[in-house]
Formats: sequence, structure tokens, C-alpha cells
Amino acid sequence: MKSTRCLLQLQRLRLLGQSGRSCVQFGALLQSASTSQPSVLQNKVLRHFHSSTSCGKNRSVPATFVNEDKKKEDKSLATYDDLFERVAKEIKTKATFNKVIDVFNKKDIRRRGHVEFIYAALKKMPEFGVEGDIAVYNKLLDVFPKEVFVPKNYIQRMFNHYPRQQECGVQVLEQMENYGIMPNIETKVLLIQIFGEKSHPIRKFQRIMYWFPKFKNINPFPVPKQLPEDPVDMARFSLSRIAGDLDAKVTVYQLPCTDVTESGEEITLPHIVGIQSPNQMEMLAKHNPNKPVFVEGPFPLWLRKTCVHYYILRADPTPPEEKKEEPYDPERCLDFPLQLDLDLDRDLSEEETFDVEDLEDGPVFAMCMTSKGDQATLNQWISGIQENNPILGEVPTLFRLDVGSQLLQGVADTESNHSNQSHDETQGQEPQPGEEAEVIVDKQPRRSQGMKQ
Amino acid sequence: MMNVNRFVVLSKAFGVGNRLLAGRARHVGREATLLQLRRSFKTHSRNLAYAKDLFLGQLNKAEVFPYPEISNEELEELKQFVAPVDKFFSEEVDSAKIDREARIPPETLNGLKELGLFGIMVPEEYGGLGLSNTMYARLAEITSLDGSIAVTLAAHQAIGLKGILIAGNEAQKQKYLPKLASGEHIAAFCLTEPGSGSDAASIQTRATLSEDGKHYLLNGSKIWISNGGMADIMTVFARTHVDVDGEKKDKISAFIVERAFGGITSGKPEDKLGIRGSNTCEVSFDNVPVPLENVIGEVGGGFKIAMNILNSGRFSMGSSSAGMIKKLIELTSEYAATRKQFDKSLSEFGMIQEKFAIMAINAFVMESMAYLTAGMMDRPGLPDCSLEAAMVKVFSSEGGWICCSEALQVLGGLGYTKNYPFERYVRDCRILPIFEGTNEILRMYIALTGMQYAGKVITGKIKEMKKGNVSTIMGAIGQRLRTSIAGPADLGLTGKDGVVHQSLTESAKKLEQNVHLFGSTVENLLYRYGKTIVDEQLILKKVADVLINLYAMTAVLSRASRSISIGLRNHDHEVLLANTFCTDAFFKNSYAMVQLQKHSPENNDASIKKIAKEVLDSRHYICSHPLERTY
Repeated sequence: MKSTRCLLQLQRLRLLGQSGRSCVQFGALLQSASTSQPSVLQNKVLRHFHSSTSCGKNRSVPATFVNEDKKKEDKSLATYDDLFERVAKEIKTKATFNKVIDVFNKKDIRRRGHVEFIYAALKKMPEFGVEGDIAVYNKLLDVFPKEVFVPKNYIQRMFNHYPRQQECGVQVLEQMENYGIMPNIETKVLLIQIFGEKSHPIRKFQRIMYWFPKFKNINPFPVPKQLPEDPVDMARFSLSRIAGDLDAKVTVYQLPCTDVTESGEEITLPHIVGIQSPNQMEMLAKHNPNKPVFVEGPFPLWLRKTCVHYYILRADPTPPEEKKEEPYDPERCLDFPLQLDLDLDRDLSEEETFDVEDLEDGPVFAMCMTSKGDQATLNQWISGIQENNPILGEVPTLFRLDVGSQLLQGVADTESNHSNQSHDETQGQEPQPGEEAEVIVDKQPRRSQGMKQ
Repeated sequence: MMNVNRFVVLSKAFGVGNRLLAGRARHVGREATLLQLRRSFKTHSRNLAYAKDLFLGQLNKAEVFPYPEISNEELEELKQFVAPVDKFFSEEVDSAKIDREARIPPETLNGLKELGLFGIMVPEEYGGLGLSNTMYARLAEITSLDGSIAVTLAAHQAIGLKGILIAGNEAQKQKYLPKLASGEHIAAFCLTEPGSGSDAASIQTRATLSEDGKHYLLNGSKIWISNGGMADIMTVFARTHVDVDGEKKDKISAFIVERAFGGITSGKPEDKLGIRGSNTCEVSFDNVPVPLENVIGEVGGGFKIAMNILNSGRFSMGSSSAGMIKKLIELTSEYAATRKQFDKSLSEFGMIQEKFAIMAINAFVMESMAYLTAGMMDRPGLPDCSLEAAMVKVFSSEGGWICCSEALQVLGGLGYTKNYPFERYVRDCRILPIFEGTNEILRMYIALTGMQYAGKVITGKIKEMKKGNVSTIMGAIGQRLRTSIAGPADLGLTGKDGVVHQSLTESAKKLEQNVHLFGSTVENLLYRYGKTIVDEQLILKKVADVLINLYAMTAVLSRASRSISIGLRNHDHEVLLANTFCTDAFFKNSYAMVQLQKHSPENNDASIKKIAKEVLDSRHYICSHPLERTY
């Protein structure tokens, strides 16, 4: 019941806001026209406008307005979006954003049209890249005039005092909430100064402060705010994150570097970073050499707004008929029996596991990240792993690379791609270019030969 | 009435005394006749030992009552051995120096050799003292006054030469035992490898037959070998290829390896927390040629030998710890009596008194358990007392640790300094829960051995119950009702055919009650878990703890009953100790068994596992710092 009423109220507020916005546009026009008039008059006009919200509706902004605007930039605030565009013509940064706010603040001691300005500013924040900055939000709240909207008697307190302004304040907090920004003590002080102790924005603030801390550390695998810049560090970070095994060891098989060959051709070597855990090595060592292993990828991994791609080395699950359980060796443990020779099973009342339908998947033996996902590069990775996993010399390796996404990735560096392939060929490694759509059987003995050379 | 009772106990005690006499290896001739005699009044198989029957809720009192004795002649003989050893340890051994310099001086070692302490259990025909387990335990009480010497001696004879003694052939015994018994050669036991201690699969040392087929070539390395640096003869366990039914298999074999064979290198002695004077190091074998005749037992039979050696070496730890605690009581009580605080001596404070009571009770219980077990082992035949020995080891190693720490606490800051020996005792006795099978491993052994035994017996009954056989279920309910109405079953410790002295009746009743409940708890556990109980380590730990307490209660009841019956000096003190311990153990057992009857979410086991899992998954303490904030 209460919430529906609130919703209705909000809708009404929004309507009010819309009408008000157009009205103030008109007011601004008027103001710009009458800058030479004494301030008393101006005040009067403003107050008049404030109380009547209906008259601006049928008047459109005249065409001359824009021209005038261009002449006196700091005076006119016809549309606040424009103000932002004008002040930050070239660069949109926090500094320019703050400058816009300062310009608005200085322009008029009464902060006329601040609600519209704040709405416009909220909309522009992502463009300026300040949507995640608490200081900017506080500065924005600071635009509100202080103590004006604080209810002073019980009637004001009972009814929605300055609903449009309160709604605007709530919207600021709402946007903070959406971007996951935790308000700080300064925010609270500002809100109390502006709207008073029991206003809607303060309620909103309290709700945020109730939930946000609870959810702040809810993610067991937090992604740091600042991701590593260096692609190798990034790959290291992402791989350990996917592997989820503290024993897993990251190996950099190749650092990114640019070389100039004798012929003057520039070669860019992609970085190759792989990860493998001792358990995976053990599994790989037990792999049936007659069954192929697959190099698959690229698979996307999203870290906040960055997407990286990785490749895996995997095999098909062992068919049940090939699985053999290690026989129990009674001479395994010197001190106590590892199994009891009893014909009694666990009672049903002690079964604490749920009946979960498990679908078995093949083992993943290793993972890697590289800036270039062609077969030659990945082959280099496989050769690298082979040093610690000699079984790879006997197992056929199939490359199943997703061409589509590779093309997308590779557009930028087709040039270097090409040169790198030729480089690989001279080394006597896999001659096939990576863009081939078909699955290519890698002749393993040849690779190991190449290794020996 | 009481007199009659005492007479009965007495006559039984003498009977056992005679039987014990027979157990000694040197009275081989008489053994056969006495064995027959003994068989005439024993009905069941010798392999049945006391502790296993407890799992069935049965109290096999004939096994443990009356408390074993040795004959007067043996006692005299023993006293003759003990006196010079005692004198040697109190006058010649400078433990502080041994600890400081991390080596036992040659003259001390020579003294030990002259006393014959390197061959206590080697039969006289091979130049040893040929003492029984009981007498060995008595000497261990004294040798334990210096941890380093105790460990050196134990590594030499409790495990080092034990292989030759129990599984070697006559030629091997003739060749090696005399020099080992005299201490001319020192023995070591080489089993552990870097992989892990109890896992035989981790043994990588390999013995391959040489091309001419005359000897084995030994390759590999062993770690944490006590006496590894100075041993001349080693019992080494290595993998060998064995043909089993035409199939090639890798099996473990035991070899006698002389350092003189060449190719053996010892690493640097380990720098240890305690027992610093004992030599522990890595031993590497590089193509060591071992003659075929140096295989102990059969090729491929090393696993059983290793198990037997390990199982037989543990019982003496009870008397060692007891000896150490008795010494500590002497040292600390003097301080407590003389040190004044607020015009009162320390000994008048309750909390200090409690520490002495703890020490006395622990020493008493350990002694009782150790000599009861040694006595059982000394009986003729091949009694399997490995379960009892393991219990003695677990109880005494943990009790020893508590007592050393309490003794140090009595002295406070002084005890923490090197001016007093207490810190050394604390450091030395920390090894006890670790070596000769860690206490965790031994608890598994204790609980699982019993579970296996009980499982064999009651599988049929449990299956019937699971099938819903009405008569079995009604029988079980009826039995439960009977116990709840008429009180716990009378297991015969007291009353008409009672073996426990009347002054211990209350404690005996408690033991009976616990044993009875333990039987039904085990049945319940087997019903609930079946063979998967192997994976329920927290349950097995509680089962082992209860069993250890039950055995300890038995030992003190048996010993105190004997003491009071034959009127040993201060037997009233023994009764007091026994009753105190039994009351305490009864509460602990009842609590543990209540926990065992519950399901894991209720008895905290599930939570304990979950905590450990969460910590181990991230491999660090995962709580946020208390000063951390979110806003």
C-alpha cells in the first residue's frame, strides 16, 4: 500500500519535473534577455516563475537563443547538455566536469535551475568518465542550495516538501547506487544540510548504507578495480583466476617483443602465457596416448569491462569401459588398514550428499593466453608444455580453433601475423596458417624433432 | 569376606607370575610344559586380546586380572641391573652438555655399552642381557631420563636390530647379534623416505639383482634415520621385483646392510628441537652391494616385518614417560615446597597442588598401562598386543607432554630458562607424539583394528536388522530396555567372582558401564557407517580415545587391586589415584560416546570439517581483520 503510494508520488514528481524543466528554459531565456535589469526585478521574475509552472509549456525556445548563447557562454544555460559540450569541447575529464559545475555555481548565487542542471550532469557523467567518483557526486549535491528545502514545521514535514528537489536528490543517489558508489560522510552532511534529517534523500541514503556494506564483499572472487596494463601481467592474472588452483604454475613461454629481421622486416612476436597445475600434469601423464588431445579456443573471459580470450588443451572424457580403478593394495599403509574388510555399507540415514545428476566432461590439461590465436603460436605453447609433459610427444594434437572470433581479433595485426607465420616456417615448425577452418592433425613426431633441433 | 576375596586374587596373581616366568626366552626348556599348563585353563585362542573384545562390549577380565607379576628371582636380577644403570645416569650422564653439544660423548656411550644397554632384549646366547619385555620397560624408565640416549638406544634395539631378532635366520643372528648386543656395532632402521612415513607406496629405494645373481644392488635414499650417521648395521627396506604366480610385482623386502659394504653416505645431522644429542640424518645408498643371504625373511616379505617391528617397539614409551614424570615430580616438588609467596609456600596453593596431582595420576596410569602390556607380551605364545602397545604409546606421549609443560609451569619463568632442565624435557618429549607412528596414525590403527574385529562378528546381526528382521530388532530393543531398567550389565569385575578390590568397586562399575555403552556405540557406528567408517576420522579419533581410556581404567584397577591385596607400600594412595582417574575418564568417555551417538551436524564434526575446508581452500586465515571497515 505504502509503496504504491510512493510510486504514484514519484510519477507525479517526474511529470512535474518535465514541465518545470521547460518552464525554466523559458526563465533562462528571460534572464539572459534582462541581464541589465536590476537584481531586484530579476528576483521577482524568478519567484514568479517558480510558483507558476504551467506557463512555459506552450512556448518554444526561439532560434535566436542559440546564437546568443554562443556569444555569452557563461551567462546562458539554455540546455545544460550544451553547457557541458561547450565547456569541455575537446577533452572530457573530471577537471572539465568540475569546471562546468563551478561555472554553474558561480553564475548565480541562487542556483537557479539547479535541478535541471543536476539531471543533465547526471546524464553526462559517464561521458566524462566520472560516474564512479564519489567526490564528483558530492560536488554535484553541493549545487543544491542549503537549508532552503529543510522542512521547518510539522505541516511541511507531513507533506512532501519541495518534492522536485527531493526527487532530484534521490536520483543522484540512485545513480550512485547503480554505479556501485558508496556514499561517504560528506554526502550525508550535504544531504542533511540540503533536505533535513528525515527527507527522502536521507532515507535513500540510509537504505544504501544498509545494503551496500553487506554486499561489498559478497563476491568471493573479486576483480580488482585496476586491472594490470601489461598484457603478460593481465594474462597471468586472468589465467590464475580461471584455474582456481593455488598450485597452478604460470609459465611465460614468450614475452611480447618486436624484432627487425635482416631483410628489414619488422616482426612482432605475440606473448604466450600458459598455466598448468601439478594435478593437470598428473592427469595428462595418465592420458591414453592413442586418444587425441585438443587445443580449443578462443573462449572469452570478462573482467569488468575488459574481455580477454584464452585457449585450452583438453581431451574427451574417458569412456567408462576404459576406466580402471586402482586395486586396493593391503600392503600400502604400514600402520593402519586403509580399507575395512566388511560387508556393510553406509546406512541411508548417513548419506549427506544430494543426488545430483553429474555430467562428466573431459579433463582440461592446460590453458594459455596469447595475443595471437593462430595455430603456429599455439603450437609454440604446446611445445613449451611438452618440456614438462613428455607424453605430448606421443599424443596426436588436434587444433579446433574458432575462426570467427579470431578474424575479429586479427584484423588489426594481419601484417605482423603474416610475418610471424613465415618466421615459424623457417623454424621448421607447423607450416599451416592458423586461419584454416578445418581441424588439422598435428604430426607430433615432427614437432619433437623440431624441439631437438 | 574381604579376606577370602583377597586370597582369591592372590592365588591368581601367583599363577600369572608363574606364567610370566615362562614367557622369558631363556627359559625355553620350561616353556613347553608351562604352555601346556596354561592351555589347560584357557579355553579361547591366544590371539584374542583384551582391547579388541572391548569393541564388542565384552570385558575379558581373565586377560588383565590379576595384574602381571615377575618372579622373585627375576625381581632380584632386575634390581641388580637397575642399580648401576640408575647410578650411571645420575652421576655420569651430563644431559645439559649432550643437549648443548648435540652429541653423546664417546665415554658416555662406552659406559652404556659396558652396562649392556645395547642388547637388553637380545638373548643371552647372542651376548645380550636377554631380558623380558617387562624388564626392558623397567630399564627404559631410567634411560628416558636423557631423551637423546633413550632415542639412540631405542633406535638401536627397539627397531634397528629388531628385524634380525624377530625375522632373521640363525646364521644372520649368529653373525650380527653379538656385535650389536655389545654395542660394538650400532643399528639403525631405514624405512622412511621423502614421500611420507606410513605410505609404503612412497618407498622408492630399489634393490635389483646383480647380473651374476650373487647380490642385490641397493639404490635410493632414506630420511630421518635415527643413528643414521653412526650406524654400522642397518635394516633397510627396499622395493624388489618378485614373481607372484608368474606375474612380476614390486614388493618390499628387508635387508641387513653393513656400512662396510660401501656406497653408503650419511647426510648432515638434522638440527632438531629436542633429543638434540641423538643422531638423525639422511642416508643414501648408491649401488650398495648386499649379499643374497642378507635378506631378512623372504624376498618380498618386508612389509610384514616392518609392521611387526613398528608394532612391537611402542610399549616401552609408557614406562619411559612415567620415569621422566617421576623425575620431574622430584625436581619440581622441592621447588614448590621451598619457594615462598605471600608467606606461604607454593605447595599450599590449590592450582599448584593440582599440577602435582595431574603428574602423579599420569605417571601412575602410564606405569600401570605399560607394565600390564609388557606382562601380556611376555606371556608364552605369540600374543598380539600391538593394539595395547599403540594405546600405551598414544596415552603416554600425550600425558608426558602435558606433565612436562605443567612441571615447567610450576617454576614459571625459571623453568623457561636454560638454568633448569625443564625446558629441555619439554623439548625432548615433544618428539613422543610424533615418532614411532604419529598419534594420529596410531589412533586410526587403534580404532580401525577394533572396528574390523567387531565388524566381522556383528555384520550378520546388523544385516538382519537392516533387512527388518523383527526378532533381531526386538532382541536389540529388549536388551536396551533391560539395561535401562536394571542398570548396566554386570560384567563380572565385582561381586561374587569379582577381581577388583572392594575399595575400587565404584570405579569398576564405571568401567563396566562404559564398556557396555562402548559396545553398543560401536554397533551403532557400524550400523550407520559400515565400511565407510574408514573415512570418518573424527569419529575414529573419539572411538580411539574412548578405548584408550577404557584400557587405562582397566590397567589402574588391575594394578591397584593387586597392590591393595598384597599390601604394597602406600597402596591406599594407589587406590586414591585409581579412583580419581576412573572418575575423570568416566566423564570423558561418557561425553565422547554421547557425541558418537549423534549425527555429524549435531556434534560439531560437520562444522569442524567445514571450517577446515574453508581455511584450507584459500590456504590462509580468511576472516577480515577486526579493524577493517566497509565504509
